[in-house]
Amino acid sequence: MTARERRVRILQLLQLMPILSVLVVLFGGALVMALLQSLGFAPWFGINTFPDLSYFGSLWGSRTFWVSLWLTLYYATVSTLLALVFGTTLALALIKVFPGKRLYKYLYKLPLMIPYTVGIALAVIMLGNGGMLSRVAAFAGMIDDPGQFPQLLKTHYGWGIIAVYVWKQTPFITLAVYAVLLGIGRETEEAAAILGARRGAIFFRVTLPQILPGIVSSTLICFAFNIGAFEAPFILGGGFPDTLPVVAWRYFNDADYTLQLQGMATVVSIGIVAGMILFAYLWVYRRYERRMGRH
Amino acid sequence: MTQVQLNSVRKQFGDFVAIENLDLYISSGELVALLGPSGCGKTTTLRMISGLERPSDGAILFDGRDVSEQSVQDRNVGMVFQRYALFPHMTVEKNVAFGPSVRGESRTEIARRLDEILEVVQLTPFRDRFPAQLSGGQMQRVAVARTLITKPSVLMMDEPLANLDTKLRLEMRRFIRDLQKRFGITTIFVTHDQIEAMELADRVAVIFDGRLAQFDTPERLYRCPRSLDVADFMGATNIYPGKLLSRSRVETALGEIDCPHQNDRSVGDSVHVLLRAEALDMNTGPSASEPPGLRGRIKTRDFFGASVMYRVVCNDREIDVTENARRMLEVGDDVWLQIAPEHVWLLSR
Repeated sequence: MTARERRVRILQLLQLMPILSVLVVLFGGALVMALLQSLGFAPWFGINTFPDLSYFGSLWGSRTFWVSLWLTLYYATVSTLLALVFGTTLALALIKVFPGKRLYKYLYKLPLMIPYTVGIALAVIMLGNGGMLSRVAAFAGMIDDPGQFPQLLKTHYGWGIIAVYVWKQTPFITLAVYAVLLGIGRETEEAAAILGARRGAIFFRVTLPQILPGIVSSTLICFAFNIGAFEAPFILGGGFPDTLPVVAWRYFNDADYTLQLQGMATVVSIGIVAGMILFAYLWVYRRYERRMGRH
Repeated sequence: MTQVQLNSVRKQFGDFVAIENLDLYISSGELVALLGPSGCGKTTTLRMISGLERPSDGAILFDGRDVSEQSVQDRNVGMVFQRYALFPHMTVEKNVAFGPSVRGESRTEIARRLDEILEVVQLTPFRDRFPAQLSGGQMQRVAVARTLITKPSVLMMDEPLANLDTKLRLEMRRFIRDLQKRFGITTIFVTHDQIEAMELADRVAVIFDGRLAQFDTPERLYRCPRSLDVADFMGATNIYPGKLLSRSRVETALGEIDCPHQNDRSVGDSVHVLLRAEALDMNTGPSASEPPGLRGRIKTRDFFGASVMYRVVCNDREIDVTENARRMLEVGDDVWLQIAPEHVWLLSR
């Protein structure tokens, strides 16, 4: 390596410093700390049994952990899938011409700007047993008393949680898919129609493969968020057994601060599960991409 | 073989009228160009024939059968888009097989037709490539093959030669003509380029502002335009106002010119005189036997290789003359222009 090449290399490294320091300190550092604590390293609490797998052992050994994991994955998957279906349908509708389209294009993005907590409050107001829907149903005579309204919140079916996630993430997925749809244009769909393809065949064989990059990136982000989100399952969930982020929060919030290590083991478990799922998802997608000739 | 007919077809988008009362009769097996400036409604017309747009009024008939209300899928037409609209996620083979596959043809039948059509468009070695790995000409051939494999009754093309370079253009032009002859398929294409229209088409429909200005063979369109707009669009430059002195002689600012006998006009009528630049003969001295011709002086000269264009000033008017580049005259030379009466075309004023 000549002196000039070395200077260039050092300059490149310097230019990378800002992003590298953020990644290493904030992300990498936190990851390492969490991992260390979950393995029994917390001298500031007077605990240092590193390396100690007992926190993972007791966590993974209990049946409720697996129920919690199932609930976490169930809420995350169902809401991501629903948001995907609604978001894609909406995006497909948005590329058509209809009256009031300009206004609607502003309106549908509204949930993106409203915080999750407001969405959760809306869910309580709308879907609760004393909420708007139950009162409207009672008023319309479908039920005798608002109290008879089917329980949507605070059950392990998680309708409330799913509703909030879907409400917030549908516009997000719409935005991503709509942008991709605008990029690919209408011509391939029109060509397919002229070749004799009906709507279903056009969507599944022509449109979907082309918008897949948008679908994969947006659902990846939504799923990753849903699996780690805490407020919605905490407020709208069915209580014990909670989702994993809520379990972790309970450990952190316990008067017995030594339980924080158990909490870290929970957080790391969420990380491992989420990481494996997202990695598998991307791996499958990459294989598909290669088959479609994209490298 | 399908004959296509448009009966007072009209298309309106909101307040904008794209096509006004268009009548068109395209014989079966004919190769027709819809020619006009951008925004004149030619692409809308093509989209209505294909079924991608429904006419607001009027009827579209295939072999006398009204298809105006028939969906795109049932119309059995073919379309080659300007930017080809190939499916980017499918190989050449999958692209071409798409039509028969969605129509539920059997695998063996698809494979047989696929081999046959790839051979016709000479793409067999490229069957496993993706569109992104092809050149413009190859992509266009895939688009043509993808359409032809469905045996469409009418083939439509949007600006088929626009995206190709000069050499490829010639090749594609031959390819399209050969293909069209071989399959005898009624073909309609859209273009804004009068050269492309004349190169390819049997007949050309010139459309201005949603109205049909003239529907004729390229030769008639070029030599005998029906209006000043058509003449202008077909590239005519030598147009002069004039007045009929007799039924076969017209007076212009250039001088007096003999013209074909005018049965429908009377002496004293005001006309436009159209002189095609390549129909003018240029002599370096006055002709002895014939009338001497129009006297002028060369003002500019443009050399195009095979041809030369001179701009000559005659009686203070400019006139373009195109010649084979077998001789070169100099700027400032005195010349005498002659034109055979049969090459003079008059338009009403």
